[in-house]
Amino acid sequence: MASLFSASLPSSDPSYSFNQAPTTASEPRQHAFYPYTDNGGSTLGISGADFTIIAGDTRSTSGYNINTRYAPKLFKIGGDGPNNENARIVLSVVGFAADGRALKERLDTVVKMYKYQHGKDISVHACAQRLSHLLYNKRFFPFYVTAILGGVDDEGKGALYSYDPVGSYEREQCRAAGAAASLIMPFLDNQVNLKNQYDPNSGPGLEKKPREAQPLPRETVEQLVKDAFTSAVERHIEVGDGLQTMIITKDGIQETYSPLKKD
Amino acid sequence: MNHLPQAWGRPRDDVYGAYNPHYLPHSHGGHQAGHPNQHTQSPIVTGTSVLAVKYNSGVVIAADNLASYGSLARFTDVHRLKVFNKKAVVGFGGDVSDMQYLDRLLLSLHVEENYAGSGDVDDKESDVALMSAKNLHTYLSKVMYKRRSEFNPLWNALLVAGLTESNEPFLASADLLGTTFSAPTLATGFGAHLAQPILRRVVPDEEASKALTREKAVEAVKECMKVLFYRDARSMNEYSIAIVDKESGVDLKLDEKLEGQSWAFADRIRGYGTQTA
Amino acid sequence: MFIARSEYGRLFQVEYSLEAIKLGSTAIGVSTAAGVILGVEKRITSTLLETSSVEKIVEIDRHIGCAMSGLQADARSMIEHARVTSQSHEFHYNERLGVESCTQAICDLALRFGEGAEGEESIMSRPFGVALLIAGYDEEGPSLYHAEPSGTFYRYDAKAIGSGSEGAQAELQNEFHKSLTLEEAEVLVLKTLKQVMEEKLDSNNVQLASVTRDKGFRIHTDEEMAGVVSRLEGSGA
Repeated sequence: MASLFSASLPSSDPSYSFNQAPTTASEPRQHAFYPYTDNGGSTLGISGADFTIIAGDTRSTSGYNINTRYAPKLFKIGGDGPNNENARIVLSVVGFAADGRALKERLDTVVKMYKYQHGKDISVHACAQRLSHLLYNKRFFPFYVTAILGGVDDEGKGALYSYDPVGSYEREQCRAAGAAASLIMPFLDNQVNLKNQYDPNSGPGLEKKPREAQPLPRETVEQLVKDAFTSAVERHIEVGDGLQTMIITKDGIQETYSPLKKD
Repeated sequence: MNHLPQAWGRPRDDVYGAYNPHYLPHSHGGHQAGHPNQHTQSPIVTGTSVLAVKYNSGVVIAADNLASYGSLARFTDVHRLKVFNKKAVVGFGGDVSDMQYLDRLLLSLHVEENYAGSGDVDDKESDVALMSAKNLHTYLSKVMYKRRSEFNPLWNALLVAGLTESNEPFLASADLLGTTFSAPTLATGFGAHLAQPILRRVVPDEEASKALTREKAVEAVKECMKVLFYRDARSMNEYSIAIVDKESGVDLKLDEKLEGQSWAFADRIRGYGTQTA
Repeated sequence: MFIARSEYGRLFQVEYSLEAIKLGSTAIGVSTAAGVILGVEKRITSTLLETSSVEKIVEIDRHIGCAMSGLQADARSMIEHARVTSQSHEFHYNERLGVESCTQAICDLALRFGEGAEGEESIMSRPFGVALLIAGYDEEGPSLYHAEPSGTFYRYDAKAIGSGSEGAQAELQNEFHKSLTLEEAEVLVLKTLKQVMEEKLDSNNVQLASVTRDKGFRIHTDEEMAGVVSRLEGSGA
């Protein structure tokens, strides 16, 4: 109730009928523009002996709304023309979709310029380092995305690189990113890197030897990707609608789309 | 009279006090000196939802004619659909002054684009050179993303409706953050909650959109405009509707009235209005 | 600044700098399957001159080296640019810069004299007065490039530049073949230099360098120089 009486205390200064309470421009604002949003969804990549697979769901969200059921998170990088024909590198981005698109366009330009300047296709190895710099150079106003880059390396082996939003990167066998990363990654640890799996005949109790991880055959990996996403769809509301996959081999990129639950 | 010509005819500070520039814009010494320029941090006069549906040979888009000042229905004749050319219409939600800025930007773009190509609307040959809705959406989304990256956003949600280069129906959205997406049906603002589920029931996917007739599309959009008028307190019963069709070009109606309203449901709602029990 | 052109549209300034190089000391490069050999004459103008201070072969990166003929001071800024480009490429792409890309980067500098077409400030008042032989070993194997002040460059199996270039190039034309070993190339370079030099060739007034897959760019040590010179004398040339 005290606030009712605070308006006009006796004073010798000229006063007005409207509010004269001093307002300083430095007082904190109620609402400021926040330049980021999260568009949900998840991505995942696994590298094999002579291929790399990258997958992502196609749902785009804003809070509890579904913006669209088809917004690809996988992009071919390099190759010829605006449709990236004959590309051998795939970038997946999940997080803030507008930043993801801006990042993809920057990397694509860099990779195409590389070919003009050096007269050869860029290697995934070199592209991976360049992507790291693109992210790091904007570290004070980051691209709010988790990126995964896939391709085939100079020796013909599957290559997969994962990034944080400010460019820290690492080559890995597999990586899940985005909304359902915490659901999918432990599954991948167990099924791809064989974590917590032991050879039952190698000794008693704690002396059992852990199973050695081997590059997995393509059919196995494709099934793992499908299982990972159908499970993630059940447990995460931001994941669903469709599954887009790209498989990169020395012969090119094979793209597939299959439906996921739309609920 | 003194020897300072710049002071002649001006009020003397020692008599009237220093001039108070407070009301002037920052660039002319207004506000309190030393404080930084502030960009728009919230919208002022706003428009509500925009709806659109793709059908077999084009797109239907609609938005009401209200511009609100907070909860005040301030202007009732603001047209929020802007025709760019015979292949593209833009619908604006959000801040009206930013819409007017973008409209001016689109006009200058239109002049530039048609300067080189043919401006003749009836010339079929010149269609190829015409900027498509897809081109326009890319352009607008980059404007929006650039402004958000400068922390000076254009406070709008846009729908771009029209045709691609190859005259396929095209519909996509861009917002103040530069986020873009495309779908057979789209709705901004309140419409994303209220109209989008209804539209998705009519047009669940691209396939359904390819089978949808113009009449059914218009009917669905009008039905949604009605639902929004029932439930959205910042809406009104006069609206604009545009149809971009690959055969007949753009058909824009600016002052449509909602038809077939039924408020019978209202009297069964308790908790507000005139009921006493 | 006005840039004069001849009646055939050629740039006089560039023509003059091409002429200037013909007065420079001779430099030779020979490419073999195993690597590239660069050689220069040092032109010891005084017995009081410290011969090791004459630097006409320099490293650009681990895998690229370069020999020069003409105004050495001009070469400094070109080499600086090439070194920065090479380091920056490795930083951005985590791989070595290609030899052709390196040569292109150097040649990009060549026509930056005079103001630009849109009236940009000029950074140089005249063209470079130096020609370079750029030798390197990249994923494509060994390669040798010749870069001119005009900004054009060509790849060669063997190339001579400088005052003795006409005679030397004719000699290389006769003696070069694809199956040369690195050791034979060393002798060929010295033999050719010897024919066009005014002074009597010894291990102090010439310098050799090699670029190979395993060792990259290396300037020959005094012992190695003495070795090659004795092989040259042994061959009876």
